[in-house]
Amino acid sequence: MSKLVTRNLSMTFGGLVALDGVDLDVPEGEIRGVIGPNGAGKTTLLNAITGVNQPTDGEVLLDGEVISGLKASRIAARGLARTFQTSQLFAGMTVLENVMTGLHARMGTSPLAAAFGLPSVWREEEDATEKAMSALDFVGMQQFADRDGGELSFGQQRVVEIARALVREPRVLLLDEPAVGLSMTRVSELDALLRRIREERGVTIVMIEHVIRLVMGVCDRITVLSSGRKIAEGTADEVTQNPEVIEAYLGRELDA
Amino acid sequence: MAVGLVFLATLPFHANPYLLFVGNLAMLYIVLTVGLNLLIGYTGMLAFQNAALFGVGAYGCAVLRVTLGLPYWLSLPAGGLIAMIVGVLVALPALRLTGLYLALATVAFAQFTLWVFLHWYSVTGGPAGIQMHPVDFGVLASTAEYGLYYLTMAIMLAVVALTWNLVRSRIGRAFVAIRESEVAAEALAIDLTRYKTIAYAISALYAGVAGGLFAAMLGIVVPESYDLFQVIAQFAMVVVGGIGSVWGAVIGAVGLIWVQEALRAFKEFQEIAFGGMILLTVLFLRGGAMSLIKRHIKGWDEPLRRIPRKR
Repeated sequence: MSKLVTRNLSMTFGGLVALDGVDLDVPEGEIRGVIGPNGAGKTTLLNAITGVNQPTDGEVLLDGEVISGLKASRIAARGLARTFQTSQLFAGMTVLENVMTGLHARMGTSPLAAAFGLPSVWREEEDATEKAMSALDFVGMQQFADRDGGELSFGQQRVVEIARALVREPRVLLLDEPAVGLSMTRVSELDALLRRIREERGVTIVMIEHVIRLVMGVCDRITVLSSGRKIAEGTADEVTQNPEVIEAYLGRELDA
Repeated sequence: MAVGLVFLATLPFHANPYLLFVGNLAMLYIVLTVGLNLLIGYTGMLAFQNAALFGVGAYGCAVLRVTLGLPYWLSLPAGGLIAMIVGVLVALPALRLTGLYLALATVAFAQFTLWVFLHWYSVTGGPAGIQMHPVDFGVLASTAEYGLYYLTMAIMLAVVALTWNLVRSRIGRAFVAIRESEVAAEALAIDLTRYKTIAYAISALYAGVAGGLFAAMLGIVVPESYDLFQVIAQFAMVVVGGIGSVWGAVIGAVGLIWVQEALRAFKEFQEIAFGGMILLTVLFLRGGAMSLIKRHIKGWDEPLRRIPRKR
């Protein structure tokens, strides 16, 4: 069954066409990679799906329901979680509080109830603490729970960001270059984590990535973008042998 | 802390009228600063309309009490509510702004409000302002000063406690998330409009109530209390005390009122001192006085969550 679908998704900024009629169909439980040279429109695609930018044309469907046109926070509330290319872990908050913030929409405390510290608030906070700790446990970061979000290394922030997204029990998890700047050991750990997210949590994953080793290893299928258009789609083998993909990455051979 | 509370509660019995006045002033500024810190410190909105809203609360309270003859216990909360309504009306256009543009727009609003206070004679009395007779606390207090002191103290304690609870919940975490990254906050299903409006509304309500207390304490409401110096004084309290900390706001309010009173004989130096303190804090002590406390008092923590009880 199709989990996340885009139809003719297009985005223009001024005269610049950043996305040009992209069709995507990600079945439930798949790990989909999205690759492409710099400026291919990968992050634009993610921003259009998550409502950070409203697409100029086309639509996005989650479980068959149209979500494009909604505010970013409404789309997120529908069960779309994402991480960012540059880590967006909140400083001035501990790692645990960061992950608890992920539970925002799953909690119901109103400002008045919070101000008066009603018993229901206590229960909800305890429950949220437990869930957040177990999400940190899942990604192996529980020992960092009380550290400030800004103190962690780049790679650690990445993983906590994934925990913060996972705690929301999303239907689809969108990752924007999760492996950028990670050491090879860390990339292997990420590879294993992504598989566990799919197997144990049943989350569908769409991942933009430059680290080819990760993409080729973990993704079921790969979509290739170039200049805002989808130029190929298929398994790792199919994609790497596609002449159009080779051309997009390496350029055309000069005719003698 | 217990010592401080006992000191506060017994101040009327061992202090002269001037000290009582200063204590009262500091406490009502705590109310105001704790609210402003929610907006500037927690939510990260560089907004300066609270000096004007402080005035709106004061004028609202005075007009309702003097012109319409309402009792103080009604006109005080009503003044707060009026300030909150005006605050939310300011928030509506301000929601679209951040950073420099928000700062400019809200300072302009403060200047405009000052102009209204000065020129809307029929309501505000123009430059002469509105005289207010002392509040009668009846059997509750022997003099108006004592009564007002304890009323301010009760409101201050309630505001600090309620706000301290508020920030240790999903609401406080939403505020800080918005401050750190609006895009990431939205990606966690946090409705920016809703939570910014809540922050604007609460800080406006606190400013309005503080204004009503201020009006009763001075016995007169005049426009120059709510000028640009007021903007700077309030901002200094938040910054020097510690951005994003309830207790920092308390320290900032008390500390700067003390500085202001110490310089009462040299009025022109008050502004220089406040400006200088903002500058020094921003340059050398980003987290304000609170950052010193966090560094030197072991185990001091200002969490954004309820710590679960041990089972």
